Amino acid sequence: MIPAQFDYVTPATLNEALALLAEHQDDAKILAGGHSLIPAMKLRLAMPQMLIDIGRIKDLAYINEEGSQLRIGAMTTHYQIESSARLKDLCPILPQAASTIGDVQVRNKGTIGGSLAHADPAADWPAVMLALQADIVVVGSSGERLIKADDFFVDMLTTALEPGEILREVRINIPTGNFGQAYAKAAQPASGFAVVGVAAHLTRDANGNCESASIGVTGVASKAYRATGVECALVGTTLDDAAIASAASHAADGVDLNGDLYASADYRRHLIQVYVRRAIAAAQQ
Amino acid sequence: MAKYVGEKIKRTEDPRLIQGIGHYVDDIKLPDTLHVAFLRSMYAHAHITGIDTSEALAAPGVVAVYTGKDVADKVGAVPCAGALPDLKVPDYRVLANDHAVFVGQPLAAVVATDKYAARDAIDLIMVDYEELPAVVDVEEAAKEGSPLVYEEYGDNIAYRLTSGEGDIEAALGAADKIIKQRVVHQRLAPIAMEPRGVLARYFPGEQELTVWSSTQIPHLLRTQLAIMIGIPENKLRVITPEVGGGFGSKLNVYAEEALLGWIAMQLNKPVKWIETRRENMQATIHGRGQVGYIEIGCKNDGEITGLRYNVFADMGAYLQLLTPAIPTLTGLMLSGCYKIPAIQMNITACFTNKMATDAYRGAGRPEATYVIERAVDLVAAELGMDVVEVRRRNFPQPDEFPFATKTGLSYDSGNYQGALDKALAMADYTGLRQMQKQARDAGRIVGIGVSTYVEICALGPSQAMPAGGWESATVRIEPTGKVTVLTGISPHGQGEETSFAQIVADEFGIALEDVTVIHGDTAIVQYGIGTFGSRGIAVGGTAVFLAVEKLKEKAKQIAAHMLGADASSVTFKEGKFSKPATRAASVAGGVSDPDVPVSEAPAAALPEPNVEDKQISIQDIALAAHIARELPPGMEPGMSATHFFEPTNFTFPFGTHICVVEIDKETGDIKIVKYVAVDDCGKVINPMIVEGQIHGGIVQAIGQALYEEVVYDEQGQLITGTLMDYALPKAAMIPHLELDRTETPSPVNPMGVKGVGEAGTIGATPAVVGAVVDALSPYGVRHLDMPLRPEKIWQAVNQA
Amino acid sequence: MKIEGTQEVRAPRERVFQALLDPEVLQRCIPGCEKLEQTGDHAYAATLRAGVGSIKGVFTGQIKLEELQPPSHYRIVIDGKGQPGFLKGTGTLDLEEKDGQTMVSYAGDAQIGGTIAGVGQRMIQGAARMMVAQFFAAIEVEANHDPDEEPPKHGFVRTALRVTKRALQGSNAADQSAAEDVEGERKK
Repeated sequence: MIPAQFDYVTPATLNEALALLAEHQDDAKILAGGHSLIPAMKLRLAMPQMLIDIGRIKDLAYINEEGSQLRIGAMTTHYQIESSARLKDLCPILPQAASTIGDVQVRNKGTIGGSLAHADPAADWPAVMLALQADIVVVGSSGERLIKADDFFVDMLTTALEPGEILREVRINIPTGNFGQAYAKAAQPASGFAVVGVAAHLTRDANGNCESASIGVTGVASKAYRATGVECALVGTTLDDAAIASAASHAADGVDLNGDLYASADYRRHLIQVYVRRAIAAAQQ
Repeated sequence: MAKYVGEKIKRTEDPRLIQGIGHYVDDIKLPDTLHVAFLRSMYAHAHITGIDTSEALAAPGVVAVYTGKDVADKVGAVPCAGALPDLKVPDYRVLANDHAVFVGQPLAAVVATDKYAARDAIDLIMVDYEELPAVVDVEEAAKEGSPLVYEEYGDNIAYRLTSGEGDIEAALGAADKIIKQRVVHQRLAPIAMEPRGVLARYFPGEQELTVWSSTQIPHLLRTQLAIMIGIPENKLRVITPEVGGGFGSKLNVYAEEALLGWIAMQLNKPVKWIETRRENMQATIHGRGQVGYIEIGCKNDGEITGLRYNVFADMGAYLQLLTPAIPTLTGLMLSGCYKIPAIQMNITACFTNKMATDAYRGAGRPEATYVIERAVDLVAAELGMDVVEVRRRNFPQPDEFPFATKTGLSYDSGNYQGALDKALAMADYTGLRQMQKQARDAGRIVGIGVSTYVEICALGPSQAMPAGGWESATVRIEPTGKVTVLTGISPHGQGEETSFAQIVADEFGIALEDVTVIHGDTAIVQYGIGTFGSRGIAVGGTAVFLAVEKLKEKAKQIAAHMLGADASSVTFKEGKFSKPATRAASVAGGVSDPDVPVSEAPAAALPEPNVEDKQISIQDIALAAHIARELPPGMEPGMSATHFFEPTNFTFPFGTHICVVEIDKETGDIKIVKYVAVDDCGKVINPMIVEGQIHGGIVQAIGQALYEEVVYDEQGQLITGTLMDYALPKAAMIPHLELDRTETPSPVNPMGVKGVGEAGTIGATPAVVGAVVDALSPYGVRHLDMPLRPEKIWQAVNQA
Repeated sequence: MKIEGTQEVRAPRERVFQALLDPEVLQRCIPGCEKLEQTGDHAYAATLRAGVGSIKGVFTGQIKLEELQPPSHYRIVIDGKGQPGFLKGTGTLDLEEKDGQTMVSYAGDAQIGGTIAGVGQRMIQGAARMMVAQFFAAIEVEANHDPDEEPPKHGFVRTALRVTKRALQGSNAADQSAAEDVEGERKK
């Protein structure tokens, strides 16, 4: 629990941070809250030679509305999202999911950008970003690019971020129409990470039928994923119990499920369906 | 008049702890301190065929590197105080020599100018391991043909012991029903908030060694370290500054403590080691670790005829201070709060390639309580009786105390019916059962668990203890009237700075603020035993009380002398000694006073110049005792008294815990919807501290029932290596606890106190498990092993 | 820890087996392999910088190939250790021809110790699967590669992306070409 030696730098601007990252490449890691990175360093499972703390860069922590979009800065803490009255109105799944992350200390220091870039297979935000079909804005030496959430999570602790890039912002279309959304989670009692986490975003058409469904699942596989089987099965239904249950049975289709000390793969397979149902039910409330 | 005793006085320790201005070992900074890091075995079982430290020695900042060979004939073996027939005690050295027996065992120590350099150098030490098959499962370890932890022993059996009285075969033979059940008491990690830590400094001129250690037993540690290091005990000073919890894990003598002391002497520099949480999980003792087989016989009316418990006790790879004694404590308490005509326990204690087990809050008694309470529940289930009814049927009556058990104990006092009735009323047990029926009719899974426990506290009479069970106290009144208490117990969260001060302040009739309680420094405090076994108040507090009584007697003699009165006539009230009221006062009142002693009458007939002269405060007496001009002839000056209290028996607190759970049928999640506890720990000094102890104990019991488990894999790798995997209960996971008490004083000490430090941990676990099993009884479940993870519950529901 | 599975490698079986025997190919394909020196008949001393994401450690040890039955079977024995712990394991690879492609069945048992065992149990299985997938993806590229050309470079991130997608979602997600994968090598 004593980390190896590292340099610690606090760039004042994003460009400075990018230059440092370009210079030090693999030897450097971005510090964006540090609630996963620092423990890994204390265990010497991660030994970066330089930590680039982007916490001092102005204007990376914000929740803005721009046109039809919400824009959330990478350094926005879970607590800032949890406590945002505006988000509770516009996109309630964000504060609701934030409130389930870790504990108060984690929520006060951990950031949405840090969580997404780390891509822990049991983190909560990836499921929510998938369900909201968010765009993730990353910036590198050659400029900015947008990565769709669907393309962002590559594998365990692996994202589509290229070396030298920094996650800058998350963009989410402000939900419109007759929509409902919710995050349902079974938390591991030791870590607080999701044993299963399901984010659901649904819209209904004028007749009250399911017009679209977007379901993100985390905690059960090597990365968060969209439960497309569930989504397809829901669309066009009246979202009655039978339809939801039937759709939920597709929640783990084609997914290689993880088992661990706390929950076997079989139990997780069962839990996903339960939590898909619960997330959808909660989304309709 | 008690002013403080019995009151919810806020703990005087807390302001400094809450503000973070207390001093733990790591807060003590000495100039030129070197830091120690340990290389620990990666393998559960291996021959060490070579250790190359040359690269580490050459690393920047490294001052010294020691291996097992360097210290083999310098530092003695880690001590075990267990005294059992035919006990095998492995020669466990502070650094492994050529045989590593568990993951986390120290192999080498690096000393460097800072902790980072020390840690860096650990990675530069090259160890050649020759892996050996690991012994992990305790029942497998007992089998013939199992791999051996120690080849030279020929088997893995540390000891076997049969205990108990009564004809067990006859008792079980006379039963209408015999119920058998295997139960697992999983390994737990104590997880004190402050891990262990040692700072050692040698004064070469004075040839004195000072060791600061986060321990529960400074004096016992001093004795043992003196033997291990080979320094005269009176040249060794052990100081325990603030200690951030122990739960039994610091009731021990650890390899690191001795090694740090020895290194400080080699290098003539202060050396420090603060345990990391990873080390704490690996190499601080674990608790529990028993797998047992219950056999209980009963009559059809619920009367218990006999109990047999065959248990495999997991010692781990070697014996720490009390490792082998813990299962024997289980044997002592197997009768629970019931009249059982015959009890037999057969212990098979085994070595395994894991960290040693030892005392963890409750230390053998939670296991006993769990066994007997689960057994009684099984009887109820078998007979279709209510769990309360079976318990009530087997209780001894209040007038049967002292009550002798077939485990060889004499329970001091008890009223088990009283605590049970109070808890049933608080919980509205009848209403709960109705609610349960309605809930079940509605398809919900609801259960009610009841635990009626008794435990053994105030450890203990020296005859029954491995190394003395008495406790010491010195009470001094300083010339200014302030009172200093030196206690041999070494509190580390139990709040005795407050509760002892309450006792002393009341007895002297002085203000609480005028009492300071000092502990945890062997150079200041007379020899003591320490804090464990819920002995703080009942043994240590009694020693304080009796030292105060000695001092009061001395003060009274001085008062009588100063007041010119006979000591037998002097009274003491609210801090003042008084001469009896005088005739003059009575005459002035115009009424004849029949209470005036005849001998006083002539003198009292004279007018008194000043009525106040007839009173003298304890503070004035203390000053007089130090000035020593006005003392009775032959009296020693000074105002100090010491008492070494030897208890005549243990104390036996008891109570009833009721837990109500609701289970999520789909996920197996358990929610505790109600928790009621009525505890009886005898007389209470500070109800707030008692409640705090009950709260903490119940939380740790819930932890065992639902969440916690130290898990080693088949190769002996500890796979619950951090708090990301080892699930401690957190505040948000704990329900509101409804607490109350009954008060049955103990006859074995003058204050009637019993002890409460471990009660919650002992009483609560069976209530929680009982509630879950009760909830699942419609699914054919009679028992489930802890921890009751949701998956286990889900399986139970779905396999039905 | 048991690891087993079947991996489709889109290349002829002989080529795949050849690739699986070639130390130069192995060094390129084993994720994080920095050094692979022959020490005997199909025996190698290896240095791996292995891990996932920011979690990485350096391991040194031996790799041995046994029970060689070209082109259908061999056994691999790995014994390595490093700062984060040790890894010891054996595994068998069985290659079957199927419509001109190769189905590789692998079954292994690995023993893991040290810090990675103590703190990583939640992720070890997934990390192992990920590295296996990366390995076979690279082998596929190698087996399809013209031996006369410059050896390919493997962008593990991208190849893993493709393989994982294929495994998880079937055909609907194979949206990136192999060429792109190879170009996915980290820009230096």
